[in-house]
Order: sequence, then C-alpha cells, then structure tokens
Amino acid sequence: MQLSNNKVKCNHCHLDFDNDVMIFETLDNKELSFCCKGCQGVFHLLDDEGLGSFYDKVGSQTLHPIKNTNNDLTKFDLEGYSKKYITKKNGLNEISLIIEGIHCSACVWLNERVLHECEGIIETSINYTNHKAKIVWDPDIIKLSHIIEKIQSIGYNAYAYDSKLQEQRANKTRKEFYSRLIVGIFCTMNIMWIAIAQYAGFFTGISLSIKNILNVAEFILATPALFYTGWFYFKGAYYGLKNKIINMDFLIVSGTLSAYLYSIYATLTQTGEVYFESVTMVITIIFVGKYLEVLSKKNAVDSLDSISSSIPTEVTVIKDGKKNIVDTTEVEVGDLIEVKPGDKIAIDGVLFEGSGSFDESSISGEAIPVYKKNNDNIISGTVCLDSVITYTAKKDLSHSMLQSITTLLEESLTKKPKIEKIANQISGYFSLMVLSMAILTFIGWYMMGVSFEDALIISISVIVIACPCALGLATPVATLIGVSVGAKKGILFKTSAHLETMAKATTVVLDKTGTITNGHPDVVNYMQNSQFDTNILYSLVKSSSHPISKAIVTYLKAKTDVLEEHQLKDIKNIEARGLSANYNNQSLLGGNIAFLKEMNIDCAMDSTKSVFVFAIDGTVVCSFELEDQLKTGAVETIENIKKLGLEVIMCTGDNEHVANDIAAQVGITKIYNSMLPKDKADIILQLKRCDKIVITVGDGINDALALSKSNIAIAMGNNADITVKASDIVFINNKITTLYDALKLSRKVYLTIKQNLMFSLLYNFVTILLAVLGYVIPLVAAVSMSLSSLVVVGNSIRIKRIFKNG
Amino acid sequence: MDDNVVSAMLLVSIGLGSLGLCAFLWGLKSGQFDDKNKFLDGALFDGEDDLNTAKKIQDRKEKNLKDKKDNETKA
Repeated sequence: MQLSNNKVKCNHCHLDFDNDVMIFETLDNKELSFCCKGCQGVFHLLDDEGLGSFYDKVGSQTLHPIKNTNNDLTKFDLEGYSKKYITKKNGLNEISLIIEGIHCSACVWLNERVLHECEGIIETSINYTNHKAKIVWDPDIIKLSHIIEKIQSIGYNAYAYDSKLQEQRANKTRKEFYSRLIVGIFCTMNIMWIAIAQYAGFFTGISLSIKNILNVAEFILATPALFYTGWFYFKGAYYGLKNKIINMDFLIVSGTLSAYLYSIYATLTQTGEVYFESVTMVITIIFVGKYLEVLSKKNAVDSLDSISSSIPTEVTVIKDGKKNIVDTTEVEVGDLIEVKPGDKIAIDGVLFEGSGSFDESSISGEAIPVYKKNNDNIISGTVCLDSVITYTAKKDLSHSMLQSITTLLEESLTKKPKIEKIANQISGYFSLMVLSMAILTFIGWYMMGVSFEDALIISISVIVIACPCALGLATPVATLIGVSVGAKKGILFKTSAHLETMAKATTVVLDKTGTITNGHPDVVNYMQNSQFDTNILYSLVKSSSHPISKAIVTYLKAKTDVLEEHQLKDIKNIEARGLSANYNNQSLLGGNIAFLKEMNIDCAMDSTKSVFVFAIDGTVVCSFELEDQLKTGAVETIENIKKLGLEVIMCTGDNEHVANDIAAQVGITKIYNSMLPKDKADIILQLKRCDKIVITVGDGINDALALSKSNIAIAMGNNADITVKASDIVFINNKITTLYDALKLSRKVYLTIKQNLMFSLLYNFVTILLAVLGYVIPLVAAVSMSLSSLVVVGNSIRIKRIFKNG
Repeated sequence: MDDNVVSAMLLVSIGLGSLGLCAFLWGLKSGQFDDKNKFLDGALFDGEDDLNTAKKIQDRKEKNLKDKKDNETKA
C-alpha cells in the first residue's frame, strides 16, 4: 500500500505513517505494513482466527494503533474485586464492563466474535451507543483476567463499572414507562376517531344500535389506558390516602374513574353520552409529562456512570519494598502510595518522593496545573499529570477530601425539600371540595324528591365536569412544552418543578472557572522571532497532555492547514516547566520562562499571563501567551440577567487577583474569592437565610456542595461529574448564554401556568355551579371539557414562540 | 350500514392494531430496541458466514448451559 510522499498505510489501523518507521512483511504474496508491533500482532491474531473479514467491515475507517498494555491483570481475580462488580447466578458469573476504543460497529462485531470464540463464555452483548458490555461466563472454565486479556489482545481495553447502582433501575423504570406510554398513545389515537363518529352522530343523528357499538369499542380502548397507563396515578393516590393526604393523583383518579364508571353506566342503560375519550386523553397527556421526567433522569444517570468508574477504587501501596494493589477502603494512615501519570488521587496525603504537576481544577477551580515537590499536600480528586511519585497517606478514605465531599453531598441530597408538595396540597383541597360538593349535591337533590338515579347522575356530572382536565393539564402541559423547548436550547431539566422555582429566583451565584471562563487556557498572543518548521513545534507539544500544550496544539491546528507529526527522539517531560526533545540533531526546548532561563537561554519577556517559549538549538524562535478566557457571550448574559432584576454574585476558589480581573471584565461587583467547597456552601446558606431564592451555576466537584444547598442548581455539561448528580438543571451545550435563555424560559412557563390555572379554576367554578344546579346536559359537559383542555393546551403551545422573536 | 359490518370493521381494525402493539411491546421487553446503532448496523453484517456463526454461538451457548446443569445435578 505505497502512498505518495513516502507515506504508508498501516494494514491494521489504516493510519498513514512515514515509510521509514514501518514494519514490512509478506504474507501469502501480499505486501503488508504495520506501524507498530501491536498492530502487527492483532492483524495476525485476527487472520489466524479467521476473523479477517473485520477489515472489510471497518471499511475506510481508521483505528487507534495498538498500545502494548502490560497492565497487572491479577487484580481482576481478587476477592474484593469480584465482590464489588460480579453478580453470581446459577453458578455463572456476570459482569458489566465499559470497553474503551470502540468507534464503529465493526469493533463491536469483533469484540463479540472474539469473546464468543472463548471457551467458557456463555453470553456477550455490547452496546454500541454507550460501549457498555455485559458478559456472562463460567468461572470453572475461564477466569475474568483471561477475558480482559483477550479484549486487550485485540487492541481494546475494558474496565468494570458498578451497574447495580442506578443504571439498571433507571433503565427498568424507563422501559416500563415507555410501554405504558405507548399503550396510552395507541388507545388515545384509536379512541379519537371513534369519538369523531360519536360527535358527528350527535349532530346529524345516529341509530341507537350503532351508538352502542361505538360505546363498546370505546370502552375496550379506554380500559387499558385507564388501568395500565394510569396505574401510576392509582398507586400515587393510594399512597397518598395511606399517609392521609389527598393529592393531585387522587383528583385525577377520582375524576377519570368516576367519568369511566358513569360512561359504563350510560352504555349499559343506553342513556346519555359516554366520556371514555376524555378519560383516555387526560390520562395519556398527563403521562407524557411524567415520562419525560423519567427520561431526563436516565440521561443524567448514564453520564454519571462513566464518571463514577473513573474514581479510583484501588491504589498501589508500597510495603516493605513490595508493590501491592490495595482497595482504597483498606488504606491506613502512614501507608506509602505510588501514583503514575494520569492517575486520579483517591486519598489525601503528603508527597514523599518525586515531584510533578497536579491538575487541581476539579477541587480549587485553578485552570493551570500546580507543581508539587517534597512535603507538599496532595489532595484527593486531583490528577497527577506527568510523573511517577510516591506519597504518604495522611487520612483514610472516609476522611479524604473527595470522599467527604461526596458524603456531605449525599446527605444534603436526601434532605432536599420537595417543592411539588405545596402544589399537591392545593390540588388536594380542590379535590376534597369537589368530592364533598358532589355528595352534598346528591343529598340535596335526593331530599328535594328527585329519584335516586337522577340524583346520582347529577352528582356524578359534578365530578365529571370538575374532572381535572384543564386543571390537571394546566401545569404539566406548560412544563412539558417548557422542558422540550429547553432541551432544544441545551437545557436539561431534571424535574419540571424546577421551572417554577427558577422563575421566582432572586440571586444567581456563578462559579468562575468553567462557568464564566472556558476552564482551560487559550492562546491569546503569538510572537514569532524567526522562521522555523511549525511541524516540529506541533510534534513536541502533541507529546504532552498538559493543558498549555493542548491549547497550543489547538491553536496550531486552527492556524495551519496541514500539520505533520515528526518522529522526535528523547522526548522529556520536565514537570511543571516544559518539554525537551531532539529532532535531526537539533535540540528542542519548550516551556515557561523560568525553564528556559534554567537552560541558559536568553529570553527577555515579562507577562502576567502564562507563557510558553519555544527554542531550537538555544535560540528562541517563538513564544505564546495563554490565558483562561471568558466564554463567548458572558458579558451580555450577565448584563441581561441583571436587567431581569436578579443579583449576580461570583464565587471562586481562585486567588483575589484572578477573581477581580475576571469580575471586572464581566461586570460583577460582588465577589467571593479563595473559597473552599464548604465556604461556598456557607455563602449559599447565608443567602437563603435572607429569604433569597438562589440559583447556583457550577461545573466542578468543588461546586457540588454549594449546588446541593441552593434552590436551583445548574451544572455545566462539559464536566459530567458529581455536579450532575447534585444539580437540577444541566446545560448540555456548556454555554453561559444558556443561563439567560433558561431564566427567560422559566419565567414564560411560570406565567403560562398561572394563566392556565386561573382559566381552569374559573371554568371549574362556573361549570360546577351549573352542574350542581342540574343544568348541565351531557353534551355541554363533553364539549366544554374538551374545549377547556384545548384552551389550556393552546395557551401552553405559545411558549414555543419565545425564542423565535429574537 | 349494517350493524354487523360496523362492529366487524371495528373489531378487525382494533384487533390488528393491538397485534402490532403487542409485537412492539414484546420487542421492547426482550431488549431489541436497547441499542439503536447496533440494531441498524445489523443489516450491514448480514451474510451467510454471519448466520452460520450466529447459529454456532447459539448452539454452544445452549450446550454450555446444559453442561453446567448436568454437572450440578451430578454434584
């Protein structure tokens, strides 16, 4: 596969490489080329097992070159590990894995095939959408470590996650709700066309026999809708009664059930009109709102799963010169822990040996990594970026920063007040009133000498007409449309009740890093001193995962059309300072000013920002200035929010200098700086004590506690983290401008709900009065019921226009 | 229109509809819609070889489960 410019395609990963780095070989008279031993190994493995057709299925897609992972696999067979992740059923083991490196359906095919070929594996199913795999195997024949080894041998990686927690439960409820919804929609759609015949028949005349047939058909369709789809409300009403509360569910049940029973009575006695279609419609429409809530919860759980799996569950402890993998819960104070580049710290401690940069952005919000050396504090939740270090544990797991924040968070989550309760109480009074009025009507008419049957029909008509069609739809339809309009704008409401609270908010507390700013440095200034090959610089910075290197990679990619990676030699990552390498006997150096001065390179520069200087053979050729920049639209958004009459406060873990600088740029006057996670939460509590309704926007673990304390917690979607769990609303698109949209939307929805409630209460008041007096003929009841619902739905649909007119 | 015709039409149409509904609910319950992408891409990997392998895997799975059961009853 010879290409132009001396580029060769690797036969496994299909990426282009320089001719001189490739491994060539001939197999069955075919010229093959590989970029590395890993790719070669996998190619042969697949060929030997007769799985060569994988490459046809991959087509023109490219794969990642295979990295030789020599991980210690013994941990998979440890007792603690299997207790945590493996479920046993009939002597078979089952585990949920997340498989890394899947990017097309051919990968899924290959993994499933290879695993199926394995003796002892009973079942494998891999989900292409979220890369989760379920594997069932016989522990007598094969060990888990062999299964993982098999996956690694074909170039993928797998790690276990705890699916027991939320995912399965969330999935199950979602499926169940979905089935119920589908049944409801099916019944509604079918009953509607029968109802049209009924209505037409009422005006143009219809023979009694046909009417009866239609009634029976409607009965058949309404029954599953009421009892299967509406089961949820029966359950809610029952639990409400058990706790001596009459709730909204009870109102829905009593209304629909009495209309349903009355309709059966009307069908059997062949008198009056039936209301089956109203029953079905009300149940289904209210249920759609409920379903959307379940759906958004499921989305949150999904993103949460892959995070909780990234929190380390075991650490390497060095004891008597030997390295042991130990569960985090078993680490004792004083243990020596080894950390490799890219590892997340699980336990607080003090650095013992080595030095390196730590990404602390998730705890302090600091965007630039911090350099740590001997006796510096190591905080859990931070990530070691570039070197192998050992440190002494100073706390056990439960007292470490990460764990204590999580624990506090879980406590406050369970204590979070439910706003819906108040709304439920109001509807409780309403339904109590309607029910007693119906009973009084019955007694009244019966005493006045009307026959038992007529008195019953009149009293039922009171309940039927007061059936919470409009009232029941007033809130859910408006919030439903609000939530779906929000979703299109990248606002994910976890429950619809939050729209209401948000509309009443008085104060907005913003985090700085990741909320007002991008949360990572960007190149703001570029100075070139002399001509040089940009590709060399690109290759150098590409080798590092430091945020500054990444920012330069992004900048170079945007600036230059074609970038090529050169093979550099002796790449060294000097902690918190820079990089050095060798290319064609030229020495390359890149890093901050201190680093270059250390290397005796003259660079006269002075900047308050982060600086990256690049030198070839001791001469500075170019330099970059980097800064954590404001998100687009931050200034306008904060101005707009102020115009809505809300107070804006900034709360950050950063130092005073940076905080003031950013605050001045966006026009915030009230600033709290150098805040620890607990301090932030205290500020929120103080504000709440002054009767403020607080919205908090944040993105990191450091904000999670504050988020859980505030009335409305908004998480930025980029850091799908513990914040997502603590938050009520997630901004998936990660834009600050969304905050203004969300506020505008919630106010509009709240207004609409108020209008709807006003209308439906007025409607109910008038019609109940008429019904009590016995003036309501069935047709009026039927038409007015549908009409009132239509008014409410129509009014709610107007919410959709909010973002259309500017 | 004759009453019988109307009722027959209603019966047949609702019956057919519910048949579809039941099939859909069954599919949902047995997890056929869990993974949209795999479901759609399944059509791409549809050949004689793949069918044979699927059959082989199914057979082996049943055999494995049966062996396991036999062992247990013996023990």
